Amino acid sequence: MATFVFGYYAALIIASVILAYVDYKKWFLMVFSLLLVSFVAGIVGGAGALEVITIFVAVLATAAAVSYAFKFFLVLIAKPNLAKELKTAPLTAAFGMFVIFTYAVAGIFAPLIAPHGQAEVISGAFAPPDANMLLGADQLGRDIFSRIIYGARNTVGLALIATLGAFFLGALAGLLAAVKGGWFDQFMGRVADVIMSIPSLIFALLMLSILGTSTWVIVVVVAVIYSPRVFRLTRAVAGNIVVMDYIEAAKLRGEGDWYLIRREILPNSTAPLIAEFGLEFCFVFLLIAGLSFLGLGLQPPTADWGSMVRENATLISFGDITPLIPAAAIALLTVSVNFVVDWMLFRSSGLKEQ
Amino acid sequence: MGKFSDKDILLEIKDLQIQGYSDETWIDIIKGVDLTLHRGEVLGLIGESGAGKSTIGAAAMGYARDGTRISGGSIEFDSMELTTATEAERRALRGSRIAYVAQSAAASFNPAHKIIDQHTEAPVQYRIQKRMEAQEDAIELYERLRLPNPEEIGFRYPHQVSGGQLQRAMTAMAMSCRPDLIIFDEPTTALDVTTQIEVLAAIRDIVDQFNTAAIYITHDLAVVAQMADTIKVLLKGEEVEQASTEQMLKSPKEDYTKSLWAVRSFQRPQKKRPTDGTPPIISVKNIDAAYTGGVKVLDDVSFDVYPGMTVAVVGESGSGKSTTARCITGLLPPSAGEIQFKGETLPPRYTDRSKDQLRQAQMIYQMADTALNPKVQIHEIIGRPAQFYSGLKGGDLKQRVDELLDLIELEPSKYYNRYPPELSGGQKQRIGIARALAAEPEFIICDEVTSALDQLVAEGILKLLDRLQKELGLAYMFITHDLATVRAIADEVVVMQHGKVVDQGPKDEMFTPPHHPYTDLLLSSVPEMDPNWLTTLLEERGVDNVGEAADV
Repeated sequence: MATFVFGYYAALIIASVILAYVDYKKWFLMVFSLLLVSFVAGIVGGAGALEVITIFVAVLATAAAVSYAFKFFLVLIAKPNLAKELKTAPLTAAFGMFVIFTYAVAGIFAPLIAPHGQAEVISGAFAPPDANMLLGADQLGRDIFSRIIYGARNTVGLALIATLGAFFLGALAGLLAAVKGGWFDQFMGRVADVIMSIPSLIFALLMLSILGTSTWVIVVVVAVIYSPRVFRLTRAVAGNIVVMDYIEAAKLRGEGDWYLIRREILPNSTAPLIAEFGLEFCFVFLLIAGLSFLGLGLQPPTADWGSMVRENATLISFGDITPLIPAAAIALLTVSVNFVVDWMLFRSSGLKEQ
Repeated sequence: MGKFSDKDILLEIKDLQIQGYSDETWIDIIKGVDLTLHRGEVLGLIGESGAGKSTIGAAAMGYARDGTRISGGSIEFDSMELTTATEAERRALRGSRIAYVAQSAAASFNPAHKIIDQHTEAPVQYRIQKRMEAQEDAIELYERLRLPNPEEIGFRYPHQVSGGQLQRAMTAMAMSCRPDLIIFDEPTTALDVTTQIEVLAAIRDIVDQFNTAAIYITHDLAVVAQMADTIKVLLKGEEVEQASTEQMLKSPKEDYTKSLWAVRSFQRPQKKRPTDGTPPIISVKNIDAAYTGGVKVLDDVSFDVYPGMTVAVVGESGSGKSTTARCITGLLPPSAGEIQFKGETLPPRYTDRSKDQLRQAQMIYQMADTALNPKVQIHEIIGRPAQFYSGLKGGDLKQRVDELLDLIELEPSKYYNRYPPELSGGQKQRIGIARALAAEPEFIICDEVTSALDQLVAEGILKLLDRLQKELGLAYMFITHDLATVRAIADEVVVMQHGKVVDQGPKDEMFTPPHHPYTDLLLSSVPEMDPNWLTTLLEERGVDNVGEAADV
């Protein structure tokens, strides 16, 4: 233990001296502040506190290193135009993209990656982790690790389809409302108001209790609930575009509404729409996880992160963190998507130009 | 320079270098400019857009805009070095000792506060005056700037005041702390000629009265000739030459300066109406128009455009020029009267017109930035009308686009796949012209096509339009408020005021007296190169007249 403590302080001191010598002010400040904090932490918390700090820093450094490498990889394989954009991406965005990429791989290749089936009972209830089961078993003796992998496919896939549905409905209605204007615009606007006036979770619970909980009902209900937000954004963005002279020129040329939407308006509104897609995806994802937690989402035995949290919730009272793992998976994805969206919003707002 | 001794130098800029950040590198915008300004001196900065005029103007306050940095040189204001001063020190100067008047007063006033509240903010903030004193002072300044109703006008909100008045209120606001230096950044560029005079006269008076030094930034030589004691010509961030106004006007030394002077010389021979009974290509017959629920914007407007001729429609903003164009294109159906195309009546709404009728009347817009879709490639912008009306496809379409690009003097291979934001203002306007031509029309409406462009570029566009007219036999309806353009390109002139046609006829008749009084007002308001022009004009018209005209 003493070697660890000595090594810890020695490493920090040497690092800060080197950084001071090469004049990397920002890094020096960071490392030296960490050293000062460590003095206090070491006295108060002992070697244990220092270990926690080390692990935390190591995790952070690994994440940063992976993001950096992943960004470099993306820049290399992307087309020149996209590569130039990617070069300006902050590490957080690269980290987000890496996590999304990992989830996508897990979801797509779930049957290959997961060692057991999602509904397969392979041991006793709440069996502890062993060589066969990485994270132990749940309340019915199913492998939690496998279920998390399958959950990526089920929960994320469902959220993705529902968000796409919401976007299709909302964006189409918004674009048509902006182009047509008049009573159509008013009508769509009021319909959107009506849907938005009902609290989304209550509306979803109501509809699902009435219509049953088949997957497609969930997709449609969630899509309808979230489409007004997309509608309003699309209409606002398109509203700024339809007053442009080039739209007037196209109208005077005799172009139809569909051409206006497809060729003139959509290319100019993709950036905010994509950013909104990321945000909406998070909300939809959380709503679906929430519905599953309440028992109205995906039905057992299908693995789903939301219901996994509920099913294993009793374990928390025994000091076991297993139920928090699917919750952490939800949190990590939400945060990652937001990292990427932040970067996209930053780009589309044109702040880097200024 | 004799008027100002070397002792009272107010602002001295030496070897100023400013860089801007783009494409991940710093690029020089200002490459070593020197500038000396004495107390009470007015310095005119002229040059085309991108020459760095406004950047220098901002630098005189020690301010670098976002994305730019002052990378070298010194800026000394009243023996205080601004480049090394702290932000707090510079802030203390701004508003109190250096003031700034922006191009668009409408965009620079906060629409949520009354004018006088914004006026008194600086003196109260700097503890120069108490609120009530500042208010009285503001009213006095309004009076000196000959704003109508000085007692009351300050208590209006910015949108309740006309553009010219707002610009004068902004000048009054700049004066509120009696600064040593005011920077005018194109204060009259957005205004009509008739309004411009009022603002120019007001600015000149107040600068004289308080012996304030000023930097006057503009691209209009005739304007700067009225205002400045000294003129400095800039090109691409470098000084071309500097001399006193009279000397500069009489004998410019550098070629670039001479070319600026020569711009206004383009003129083409005037054409007469055909006498063989050819019907006019567009005939506007007694149209009235109003926007929904509003008052009449057009009242009994009639004029004809004959094939191959250019009809210029002139008038100040709000006179109904653009509304007439909207009626012709069918965007705003007239409430009375009709539009005839080669003798046949066009349906009032564009949605009711046939493809061929739509094709015949094309439009070129004032702002090329908003007239071209930024996310569509040039070949599609130009190719779409050809594809839409003539059904061209594949190789034929590509050939047609190449032809059109050749016609507007842009190299096809270079521009075929580019996007509008990658082009300069003049090039964009050319693309707009090509898009209109792609429909193979006989009649084109040009809505202020040159007013957003620099003089040199604008002249290029005018020459191009003239050449196209000769080659393709086009008829133009040329909407403009710039009478120099009218002089250059028009065959016939229609003068509009308050939605009515007040005067019309062939150009030569319109430009020789006797005029209609309003035509006369317009004509005499166009600034001339003579430095004494404004003084003479104001004497002729009488000072009171200027103030009243602002009430319109």
